[in-house]
Amino acid sequence: MAQALIDLIKRQFPSAVLETHSQHGDDTLVLNALAWKSVAEFLCSSPDAAMNMLVDLTVVDYAEREPRFEVVAHLLSLSLGHRLRLKARVGNPEGEGAAIASLTEIWASANWAEREAFDMFGVTFIGHTDLRRILMYPEFEGYPLRRDYPADKIQPLIPYREIPGIEKVAPFGRDEGMSFGRQVHARWAEDPEDPQAN
Amino acid sequence: MSTFKLDGREIPFEKGDTIIRAAHRAGVDVPHYCWHPGLSVAANCRMCLVEVAPPAGRPALMLDVLRWDAAKNEYVAEKKPKLVPACQQGVADGMDVLSQTSEHVKRARAAVQELLLLNHPVDCPICDQAGECRLQDYWLEHQGTKKRMHDEPVHKPKGQVFGPTIVYDAERCIVCTRCVRVSEELAGDPVLSVAERGNLNEIVVSPGRQLDHNYTLMTEHVCPVGALTSSDFRFKARVWFLRSVRSVCVGCSKGCNSYTDFDPRSLQVHRYRPRDNANVNKYWMCDVGMLDYRRIHEGRILEARTSGESTTRESALTRAAALLAGAGGKLALVLSAEHSNEDNAALFTLGTKYLGALAVFYTGRPQGKADGILLEADRNPNTTGVLSICPTAKPIAELGQAVAAGQVAFALALGSAVPEDATASALSGLQGLVVAATHEGTLPQAAHVVLAASSWAEAAGTFINSAGIEQVSERAIPPLGESSPAWKLFAQLGQKLGHPTSWKRPEQIQANAGSAASEVSA
Amino acid sequence: MEPIDVEISEAELELPEEPMLLNVGPSHPAMHGTVRCVMELSGELIHRVDVQVGYLHRGFEKMCERGTWAQVFPYVDRCNYVSPMLNNVGFALACEKMLGIEVPERCQWYRMALGELARISDHLTCDGAMAMELGAFTPFLWMIKGREMIWDIMEEETGARLTHSFGRVGGMAAPPTKGFKEQSLAVVEHILSIVSEVEKLMFGNRIFLDRLEDVGVISGENAISLGWTGPCLRASGVAYDVRKAAPYLKYDEVDFDVPVGEKGDCLDRFIIRLEELKQSVRIIRQSLARMADSGPINVVDPRVMLPPKEEVYNTIEGTIQHFKIVMEGLKIPAGEVYSYTEAGNGELGFYLVSDGSGTPYRVRIRPPCYYITGGLEHVITGQMMADVVPCFGSLNMIGGECDR
Repeated sequence: MAQALIDLIKRQFPSAVLETHSQHGDDTLVLNALAWKSVAEFLCSSPDAAMNMLVDLTVVDYAEREPRFEVVAHLLSLSLGHRLRLKARVGNPEGEGAAIASLTEIWASANWAEREAFDMFGVTFIGHTDLRRILMYPEFEGYPLRRDYPADKIQPLIPYREIPGIEKVAPFGRDEGMSFGRQVHARWAEDPEDPQAN
Repeated sequence: MSTFKLDGREIPFEKGDTIIRAAHRAGVDVPHYCWHPGLSVAANCRMCLVEVAPPAGRPALMLDVLRWDAAKNEYVAEKKPKLVPACQQGVADGMDVLSQTSEHVKRARAAVQELLLLNHPVDCPICDQAGECRLQDYWLEHQGTKKRMHDEPVHKPKGQVFGPTIVYDAERCIVCTRCVRVSEELAGDPVLSVAERGNLNEIVVSPGRQLDHNYTLMTEHVCPVGALTSSDFRFKARVWFLRSVRSVCVGCSKGCNSYTDFDPRSLQVHRYRPRDNANVNKYWMCDVGMLDYRRIHEGRILEARTSGESTTRESALTRAAALLAGAGGKLALVLSAEHSNEDNAALFTLGTKYLGALAVFYTGRPQGKADGILLEADRNPNTTGVLSICPTAKPIAELGQAVAAGQVAFALALGSAVPEDATASALSGLQGLVVAATHEGTLPQAAHVVLAASSWAEAAGTFINSAGIEQVSERAIPPLGESSPAWKLFAQLGQKLGHPTSWKRPEQIQANAGSAASEVSA
Repeated sequence: MEPIDVEISEAELELPEEPMLLNVGPSHPAMHGTVRCVMELSGELIHRVDVQVGYLHRGFEKMCERGTWAQVFPYVDRCNYVSPMLNNVGFALACEKMLGIEVPERCQWYRMALGELARISDHLTCDGAMAMELGAFTPFLWMIKGREMIWDIMEEETGARLTHSFGRVGGMAAPPTKGFKEQSLAVVEHILSIVSEVEKLMFGNRIFLDRLEDVGVISGENAISLGWTGPCLRASGVAYDVRKAAPYLKYDEVDFDVPVGEKGDCLDRFIIRLEELKQSVRIIRQSLARMADSGPINVVDPRVMLPPKEEVYNTIEGTIQHFKIVMEGLKIPAGEVYSYTEAGNGELGFYLVSDGSGTPYRVRIRPPCYYITGGLEHVITGQMMADVVPCFGSLNMIGGECDR
């Protein structure tokens, strides 16, 4: 439990910490998105924190919330042995305006982690020198891990041939697979004419 | 504000409330089978037993019980407090009720659940209730233990046809008597009753009768297990594949709130379920409405027609535009009480503002018989809505006179059915009739151009019921076949005639009309 | 074709000054699966390299959101596909952490033994492939033979050689077979002898040592900053092993050492894996000695474990339990957790977000070799083209884990 660490951060940045909680042994701090980089710098450089590794940086899309995206960073201190999870919320419900400071100047692992977060969610990292797609091809449109990106959508670079009588069954066609649970995580009946499929 | 404590949480209550009703209002769930907010209290399932702390200074009512002590390998005498059913116990100010926080209550619930499952058949793979079954949910939440009985379970008749809509399975029945109370209290027809005694209890239909009143599907709806199944929905779809939207029934002008359940893979609507609305239909829907979902897929016009021949929407629109262009001042509009406010407003705007129609009529389905409970005589969902869009609209029966008098020679109509057969001859007297219709009927039969319109399940729509309440019905499936929402069709028709009818969303129709917009309430 | 007879004077001959752009991959024998390196070369020297991954991206994290928690196991299998059992165990531990359940002791030893066998298989593959790419085909075949023996054990236990999907939340899919202990002990004995033969063969070879020593050096601070974990980090002198730093299962009750390198070059990474392999054998021997021969493997919890089939077919409670777990998915209370284990390449983390239903809300797999491949640029810039082969090989980038 890194309670002492959380207290240290709260003392140093009283206005930046919005929430804290501790679940299953993980300590989490929810920060104001504007204080992201300064808190991270403090955690890296301060000898009481000594968080010298950014273990992981990712995004979670809470599509009904505002702000919509939660940027989640896991930090580890190899010398002191404690871990911390930092979170910051960005973006409006349409997915625009999701921007946060880049941590590449503090930890080099942020480079690829932020590129993937950008690729998958569309969150921009201000100050990242090379923010381009990493897992998807450059011509890809959309941000695949967002909740409203349909899982069965395909964007082939080379379109399928039109052969009469052959049904090219796309992966996860309408009558294939099992849509488990009662929840729907993507719009299911898209009307191409209707910009507001309700 | 009088409150009582439930598991330490203060919950307000009204005079005459029982614990479970006050908790239900506050959104707290006390597990139950036989209680229903819209029915009388039976208190026979004993699942809602809770522990009520005695008033200050009074001792708790304790019962002598024997508890199996595994360490001593014998029964030991113990006392436990008497638990009360939450559905029957009235609430008093300051009462302290323990539900989840009491060990006795937890043991009681596990025991009740175990007893209910003792003779229950292993039917989950074939039972329609699977996925929305209380026995399944409560087993996981409250019991979690295995079967302790090694005897043969009691066998009872299965697959009994109670009536044209309901099939009964006595082995699955937990005799909560919800169905008995629905028949008696809601439908006013006490045709079901409980027969036999003890663990041979089953529900029977009165001799010489069938379960055939207008609320039989409500007995299936309230049944918490798979004992009563709808023969219409049986074996059609598994409920976890179905998605629901909040809709409004269009069977009559009552406007009961419903859920439309459809399979998103095949985009087929499989059933309706009632949705609670204290102001309109409380918790219920009648059979006529429940089975009305069939009309979404049956008898539909899915392709445009000109002169009875199927054609593309484009060519039908072109032909319709040509017809209407030569209408002069003899154009009449026919609104439809079957269609939503959006469809009718689009037609009204196009007709009056741009095409100069002078005469406005309205049509709908013929009247039926009201049953005095929910079903109303007016079998159209939106008569009030149509009359609010155009208060001077005349019934379509008067169209015949107008045609005969030579005032009307062309008509742009919405809808399929007409209230009387006599209208058909009037329609044949028109020189040009363009109809946007969802189903086959008198109007599209007589039309020169038929445009395929989408039904209420394929586009969101607002309906005003007979009490004047405006309700929105959400969209379930995308337009079937070549159909398109009527309000879109009218925009395209207007554009073909060179008018700036460019609305892309229903809200824009009002702005286009320039008339006072009625607020769409969710 | 006619020879071009042109008189060219010395002054006219201009050597090109721009560096050459060379595209290596994605389909390239040295690129270990599918990774594309666009290199700017000046002669043999690499000035800049752009490492492009993502050719094996299959959208696991999105797919996990469409099924149930138990349906994630086949996906994580296919992440680090040379040591899939470690991925299974890691994910099972993450779910159990969120549920607050602990598996029975027999299962813990079982998981450790299977996990370490998978780790041995991973290290055999990596070092074998590294040797093969430098021209030594013999040790590759020997190590693959050792790997085959491990895969035979896996086939006995789980039914599949590679993608077992054997882990379950609350235990494993099946108890150990009767011959598991005997077979495993025999196999690890054999593997140790293979390893010692490989060492005798390779470490006396001047060419092999020259190609690996002082090539692809990375310092400890750089490795930490890049997010490296596992053998690659330990080769640079940082003694961080999740099994020692934050022990899970029964790792705190077994004796084993963690080899740590000095220079952080390719040779260190090569040797560390062989040493780790020997330590894994120690762990396996101790785990098998302490694993009981009978007893439950799965936790008894109707919320997460499937009941035995006799109960499912004959009792209503069994049917309901089976139904709820399969159709709705086992329900994990709403919340989030980050759970990490030592996988073949380092710290494999699972960041799980649950909304209380049977469908995961977000499954984030923290892939150790994603960050290691992120450091590839740092490692090979300034090296020669031919050094890319041992450098990339020593990082053990598994495409399935890197791209998911």
